[in-house]
Amino acid sequence: MANKGRVVLLCAVLCTTSLAAQEEVPDAESLLRHFDLMYESTGTAARLEIEITRPNKTRTMRMRTWSQGEDRALIVIDAPVRDAGTATLKVGRNLWNYLPRISRTIRVPPTLMMGSWMGSDLSNDDLVRESSYAADYVPGAVEPSEDPPGWQVTINAKPEVPGLWQRVELVFSLADQLPILGRYYDRKGRLGRTMRLEEIKKVGDRLIPTRITIEPARQEGRRTVLTYLHVEFNVELDGSLFSLAHLERRR
Amino acid sequence: MAENSTLRIAWRNLGRNRRRSALAAAAIGLGQFAFLATAAIMHGYADHYFASVTGPLVGHIQILAPGWRTEQAVDLTLANVGTMLEEIRADPGVLQAAPRLYAPVLAALDEEGFMGVMVGADPLVEARADGLLRNAALAEMLGDGQVLVGKGLATQHEIEAGMELAVIGQDIDGSIASELYEVAAVIDSPVEIVNRAGIVAALSDVQVLLQMGDEAHEIVVHLRESEQVGQVIKGFGTLPVLTGTEVKPWYEVVPQLVGMIEVMNAYSLVVLGIVFLASAAGIANTMLMSIFERRRELGMLLALGSNPGRLFRMVAVEAVLLGLLGVALGTALGLLFAALTAGAGFDFAELGGTESFEVGFQGVQISSRVYPELHGRDIVVGVVAVLITAFAACLWPILHIARLEPIEAMRK
Repeated sequence: MANKGRVVLLCAVLCTTSLAAQEEVPDAESLLRHFDLMYESTGTAARLEIEITRPNKTRTMRMRTWSQGEDRALIVIDAPVRDAGTATLKVGRNLWNYLPRISRTIRVPPTLMMGSWMGSDLSNDDLVRESSYAADYVPGAVEPSEDPPGWQVTINAKPEVPGLWQRVELVFSLADQLPILGRYYDRKGRLGRTMRLEEIKKVGDRLIPTRITIEPARQEGRRTVLTYLHVEFNVELDGSLFSLAHLERRR
Repeated sequence: MAENSTLRIAWRNLGRNRRRSALAAAAIGLGQFAFLATAAIMHGYADHYFASVTGPLVGHIQILAPGWRTEQAVDLTLANVGTMLEEIRADPGVLQAAPRLYAPVLAALDEEGFMGVMVGADPLVEARADGLLRNAALAEMLGDGQVLVGKGLATQHEIEAGMELAVIGQDIDGSIASELYEVAAVIDSPVEIVNRAGIVAALSDVQVLLQMGDEAHEIVVHLRESEQVGQVIKGFGTLPVLTGTEVKPWYEVVPQLVGMIEVMNAYSLVVLGIVFLASAAGIANTMLMSIFERRRELGMLLALGSNPGRLFRMVAVEAVLLGLLGVALGTALGLLFAALTAGAGFDFAELGGTESFEVGFQGVQISSRVYPELHGRDIVVGVVAVLITAFAACLWPILHIARLEPIEAMRK
């Protein structure tokens, strides 16, 4: 009897979800725009913690970041002490690293864009291309996703856009239509990495995921977790912050 | 006595038509020469590839941290390298053991970064014949923040001696490693990867850069005799200091090389086959002609009661003598070829009227100049092949004699 009741309840739940699905399927463009707008601000200042897990060790870095639009960003590492002061400046498609120990600024060459940024599972390219999903990809149909529950949009890279990923499956939550999962497929159609966006918090007037976990596929025991410790949107930032001169002067 | 006279008669028979016999012998000689020259060139190439691959980069045996070969992660290192080296070098079969570290780095003269590979090596070992540098003067420059830059990398980024080179990489803990070095010289290393991307520094300098202790990614071992690989590896198996490491013979590190050497040997065997088919035809033809010419005479001998077996033997000895004559001529030519090319080698490009060249391709130095090497075994193979061919080729003439009706033969 109790069993039967449970089945009925399950049916009821399933029916309502599928009804809901039929009623209001969000369109892909608006979901993607949502993703792009989520972090958009005239100026963003944040403190981040990055935990890089490798099969036999885990390393944690803390950093401060400032960004303006999609083009300009500055990242300064505060911890561990050995890396403190190391900074990365992004202006457009250019990326410079400043090494305080040798007082040198070095531009990352295009050939190294797919390489790892500071030993994490993020590539230099990920930093440069805070990529506009709406601009670089062609969205496909929106389908309901079961694991995790939500709306899944499959987007395909525009042929003229260079990059590692050919196809990305993004899953948006049912309730807030916030991105919660990304599966990235390479040019050979193999799953290259998974990105989970969790711990959605209210920052100012917007909801954002504050923990992002990136796991490369087929590489057991490797993971990079990026946690926002503090974020401020629409902060006023001086444009000179994003200059080589400042990169070298600062400290 | 009978044998002696058979030999004498056979020799005289060959002399009946000197021009024909000389032509046949010359054809066989050319065949033997072609085979010996091909085999010598192939041995030369195989030795060159073997030396260029196992030489400075791979060695005869490699000792690695488990996983390093496939993952090449900076932190997959061998610990206690000093002790390891001491025990490895104590093996009487070991000529030298070279500890090395590799780290992909971003390097820069000014602001523009480019990719390079930092190679940490022991200058004293690398100065030797099978080392990365092969040059004592260059090796002495290493240490104290001095580095050597590969020719290709230097040309591409206009690096010259005396310049300051900034290097960023990742140390063993994953932290950012950065250092400034001075370029002591631009080098032309026998190893292609070093020429293309290498920034060679003293092992101790790279250990400091990568925040390592007495560590290395690999130890490249050279033996006194390359054939002793199995034996020395067995010996290494008993060293406690090497437990938990990967010990690999060269043929597991570069299995393609095994295939390449096999292909080269197969190639000279193909030439051997073609050449000796041709000489079999030559001998058979010569012998048949000479038998046909002597039908009457042979018929007479049979009629007079000569033992057919003796006639067969006579023909066989003629064929073998002809073959030996040819093979002696060919071997002499082959030896002459080997002697002429032994010192300076033999340049295919000059033969074709183009400039001689030497390029690196997938870790192998490919040169238009080859140093042919004649093996005694090949001469023996050639002689045996000619003898077998000679016997086979006189079967037909012998059959002809066997079917001969003495009366019929004499009448014609």
